[in-house]
Amino acid sequence: MMENATRAITSASGSGVRLSRVLTIAWREFRHTVFTKGFIIGALAFPMVMFGVIGLMPFLLSDRPTPVHGTLVVADEDGSVAEAMESAFAMDRTDRATGGGPADAHTRGPFEEFDPDAADALAHLARVNITVKRVDIKDDLTAHRTQVQAGELLGLVEVPAALLSKASPEDLAITLLVPTDSPAKTTALIERVARDATVVARVERHGGDLAATRALLRRPEASTSRLSDEGDAAREDTKFRFILPGAFMMLMWIAAFTSANQLLTTTIEEKSSKVIEVLLSAASPLELLTGKILGQSAVSALMLSTYGVAGLFGLALAAMTDLVPLSTILLFLVWFVMGYLMVAAIMTAVGSAVSDLREAQSLVQPAMIVMMVPLILWLPITENPTGWLATIAGFIPPCGPFVMVLRTTGAVEPIPAWQVVAALGVNAAGTLLLVWAAARIFRVGVLMQGKPPSPRELIRWARAR
Amino acid sequence: MSGSRLAVELRGVGKRFGAVEAVKSLDLTVSRGSLVGLLGPNGAGKSTAIRMIMSLIRPDEGELSVLGGDALDMKDRIGYLPEERGLYRRMRVGEFLVYIGRLKGLPAAGLSERVARWLERIELRGVFKSRCQELSKGMQQKVQFIASVLHEPDLIVLDEPFSGLDPVNARVLLKIVKDLHSEGRTILFSTHQMAQAEQLCDRVVLINRGEKILDGATSAVLESHAPRAIEIEMEITGDNATPERLAQIQGVRGVRVAEDPRVRILDLADTADARKVMALALEATPCRRIEMARATLDDVFVRLVTDHGGHARAPARVPA
Repeated sequence: MMENATRAITSASGSGVRLSRVLTIAWREFRHTVFTKGFIIGALAFPMVMFGVIGLMPFLLSDRPTPVHGTLVVADEDGSVAEAMESAFAMDRTDRATGGGPADAHTRGPFEEFDPDAADALAHLARVNITVKRVDIKDDLTAHRTQVQAGELLGLVEVPAALLSKASPEDLAITLLVPTDSPAKTTALIERVARDATVVARVERHGGDLAATRALLRRPEASTSRLSDEGDAAREDTKFRFILPGAFMMLMWIAAFTSANQLLTTTIEEKSSKVIEVLLSAASPLELLTGKILGQSAVSALMLSTYGVAGLFGLALAAMTDLVPLSTILLFLVWFVMGYLMVAAIMTAVGSAVSDLREAQSLVQPAMIVMMVPLILWLPITENPTGWLATIAGFIPPCGPFVMVLRTTGAVEPIPAWQVVAALGVNAAGTLLLVWAAARIFRVGVLMQGKPPSPRELIRWARAR
Repeated sequence: MSGSRLAVELRGVGKRFGAVEAVKSLDLTVSRGSLVGLLGPNGAGKSTAIRMIMSLIRPDEGELSVLGGDALDMKDRIGYLPEERGLYRRMRVGEFLVYIGRLKGLPAAGLSERVARWLERIELRGVFKSRCQELSKGMQQKVQFIASVLHEPDLIVLDEPFSGLDPVNARVLLKIVKDLHSEGRTILFSTHQMAQAEQLCDRVVLINRGEKILDGATSAVLESHAPRAIEIEMEITGDNATPERLAQIQGVRGVRVAEDPRVRILDLADTADARKVMALALEATPCRRIEMARATLDDVFVRLVTDHGGHARAPARVPA
């Protein structure tokens, strides 16, 4: 019997794991992380507010046009620039008078096809009421400048004659003088309209056909579709091809690291406050470690689901949910579990081996460098998810799961199935190895005090009986 | 093995931390229902031995059994108060104790009431909802004591339970320990406060430099280490016997004046008959009191530790 007892002690760090203890520890870990002001504000409320503000921004901007009223003096050689500008602003007034909205202004603007941005700017400035006064560029403009200075004019536009010639010097510019309190948006509008009007005037002076030129210069849209083996064509959105993998990976990275970091700090706190020995008298090291990791995994899952649901909601609003098929989400969850467990194991092992956060930094740094790989390689991997760099990085724990998320969500052609299966196997093995080593290190480290162990000592702890 | 009779059994257990041999081939048994004091100077290896008993650290050698098995499998039947006091500072007292109770396998129903009863018993009323960090050090120690006995374990292991407590709180704790013992629980506690050990323990085990140097029933230890001497408290009269007159009694090796100047100590020769010497001393001088000199555990401790080469040891990186 004595031999049996001895064997039990030396065989493992707590032969049996009692689920009730693990769940009790997990619940405490979850509760004391989530039900705190710091977490609610930092990890949940702040990002949600950010999402909300970003989502509402276009509505907020579009619903608040800047009112612009006043007289603008345009000084040019023959009045052609002033005429073009007057026509642009007058068009806007006509639309409002006839009940047309900004959208009409956009479609019927003078340089809408030539410079859609200018039309856009005009369209958004629904309450523009600018009167253009023509003067000759050769006149004395001192009085007008004084009026601008006094705020009696919206501005003074000076268009040098040379700008209307065929070979206008590139370094010659239109001068716009505005009062000191002129809103930046109004200034930008006048600048843009003046530049476009100068182009219109130049083309007309030299007998060009503006409409024909517009038609010639119009850039056609490009629509890319991918043909599957079955011959089906699927449209591709290149913008989202880059953004989506990054969003998935960042979501996973943030959720995993927030919780893993919490594991690091709570383990150090338990150790430095000496409560660890009380806990170990009630639970085995393995139960404690499992409970802590499980509790923080729930925290991580909460963050993931909060952000994920918000993201999916955004995609649903934009009618783009087809970009994220269910199979992608399921595979993402598998990678997330592996990624989280690996990071959590590293952080808990480090937390158990040190006495304070300063000591932890030196041990965490090497792991963090590895963990930064997916962030550094985000663009190259997304650019070429089936290339050698992406393929190899996907097989290297602990960054493998993060890289595989980039690959699987960013691949325009399916990743070879064998690579996905092999990466799942390799990373699952890596996860088991890291969790096993963490449990070994945790068992020894939590009761150690003094100088932090060297990496070699950590390996020795992991291999100890 | 006599597992049914023994609560703790260590056979040849040793533990080394680097160059330091913290515990050397320690044999220790604690019978069920007994109250055993593990004594020793600072750094003697008491806490290391206790941590091995608790399976917090593993012995390098030897065999170890707690309640007939492995302490890891008996956690619900063992209560442990570690030497290093520790609580979750921001957690509320009641919540902390309920948490420990749950870990110890107590059902959730009625647990808060049980905690409240214990807080009352240990004279910590009104702290149930206080945060641990708001309590004084002594109060925190009492909270931790509750954490070790809340689940009414069969075996209670207390590492320096009285250190840092004021006399009033020490007395409260002492009474509870005695009550728990009288309820039939086995108690093993370490201390270097000899007075309390002498007052509490059925049996004492003294270790120094990782080695056991004494193990026995408290009364027997005191008896065996009692000096062969007689104490005489003199009457204050003009006719007091001088040390010279007492020294002339047959069987007396010498006479010393004790710390109290009214008391003389007669050291006896090995062959002397103490009763005869006492009778002769009474004839020689009037006295208020005459008795065989008694050893205190403090005397035994100092003598044995000194004889064993003191207690200084090189520090090592060891578990807290």
